[in-house]
Order: sequence, then structure tokens, then C-alpha cells
Amino acid sequence: MDAVAPQLAISRVFDAPRALVYRAFTDPDQVAQWWGPIGDHIPRDEMEFDIRPGGFQRWTEVFPADPSIRVRILIDLTAVTDDELLEGIIHVTGRLPGGFEPFETRFRIEFHDEAQGRTRLEIRQWLPPGMASPSDGGWSEAFTKLDALLARDQRGALAHEVG
Amino acid sequence: MHGTDQLSAVFSALADPTRRAILAELAEHDATVSELTAPFPISMPAVSRHLKVLERAALISRERSGKWRSSRLEAEPLREAAAWIERYRRFWDASLDRLETHLAAVQAAERMTGTQDRKA
Repeated sequence: MDAVAPQLAISRVFDAPRALVYRAFTDPDQVAQWWGPIGDHIPRDEMEFDIRPGGFQRWTEVFPADPSIRVRILIDLTAVTDDELLEGIIHVTGRLPGGFEPFETRFRIEFHDEAQGRTRLEIRQWLPPGMASPSDGGWSEAFTKLDALLARDQRGALAHEVG
Repeated sequence: MHGTDQLSAVFSALADPTRRAILAELAEHDATVSELTAPFPISMPAVSRHLKVLERAALISRERSGKWRSSRLEAEPLREAAAWIERYRRFWDASLDRLETHLAAVQAAERMTGTQDRKA
């Protein structure tokens, strides 16, 4: 696996067989159905998929409620194993909603069999790519410690205001 | 937040446990290099190097008070780094909720088609 700790690790089980879940990530008609925040629209004629190692996935997200927002997603696929693995770099450009800056992020999505024909999805994301990881554990541990720090700092700031 | 480079500097600075411990000290009170060196088993030059990394990431500011420079915690970049991760978690949670609904619809459609095939 990967030596560098991901900033984001998500695990989720879907009540669908593995090949079907994999297809939902690799068939443009299906990606257009579910990817992205509520209220977005993915024009089908701007989607280009070439699913193989060294291939790509490209599409545009528009938001009918705010025509000024137009997001371009470019995914370079570095590793692809049918029904098992998608790995690569996502480049997000354009005008983004919700305070997102244009960015790049490395990702790895694993598709695992679960009992009763279900599928476990393991999503890992490294933000931004090539960054050092905590030398004493993962980012979630680091941020758990920092949460305590932030809470304390806020109390300090409060005391400052009162005093 | 000022883009990926700034964020990268913040995360890199936070990757080191000694630097996080220094930030925890500074959350209590502003401190000079020598005050910060006392609780740690490392030298003043080493603490100085950590402070430079934290300053470059804008996690601390330093001002001269008399002979010594005092370091102060700047919590905003820390909050923004934590909020940044949280935004992507929310993005995935929302997308995967939609994926769940989508997969249920695809399977329902396949079951209906399957039934028709068997009848045919």
C-alpha cells in the first residue's frame, strides 16, 4: 500500500455487487447520475472516459442555480484493475462552489467483496499530492490532537476578550 | 486560505509532533525560544528551526519584545486546514449518498428487465 498517510480515508458498504459499483465509477452515463454536490449537472457531451492505466476521465460540472460556477474535472488514471481498483490524480479547475480552491489531489479507490453480495468501498485521498505525512501516525490522529489545541486556544481567546 | 501551496506548507508543518507540541505550548501563552526550549529535550537551535517552519506556514507570528523575539500562535491556518479536510469528507458523503440511491435504482431496473426476459 502507500507509505504516506492519506488526509482522508472513507470506508462505506453498498448493497450491490462489486462489478456494479465499479461500473458506477467507470461508465460516464452513471457517473453523471451521482457524482458531485446536490444541484450540479454534468453535460453528457462534455464527458470523455478512457478507463485503463495511463487513461483518463474528464467532465464538466455546471450549476443551473448559479451559471457562473463551472467546474472542470480531469482525472489521470495511473492504476486500473477491472472491478478492483482505480488510482490516479484528480485535477479540479474552473470556478468552484463552496469555497473550494482549484486543486490537485491523489486518490485510490478499492472495491472489496462483502458478505451477501455487498461491496465495501475504500476511498483514500492525499491532499495535496507529495506532502509529508505525520511521523508519529496518521492525519486523523494528528488532527485529534490539534482539535484539543484549537479548543484550548478558543478558550484562551475568550478569556482574552473577557479580560 | 491562499491556495494549495499555503495549505501544503501548513500540513507539512503540522506533520511533525514536536511542532504540534510547540503549537500546544503557544496556545497557552506567547513564548520566546528559550521558554519554548525548556519543556522539550531538544536544543534552542532546533526549536528555532521548528519556529521558522511554523512561521513560513503562517501558523505563528513573531515579534520582538525587548531583546527577545516572542512567538504567538495564529490559529486561523490551523482551522482552515481542518475545515479543508472536512469539506472533502462532506463532498464524498454527499456523493456516496447519491451513489447508494443510484445503485438501488440500477438494480431495481435490472430486476425488472430480468423478469421480462424470463417471461419472454
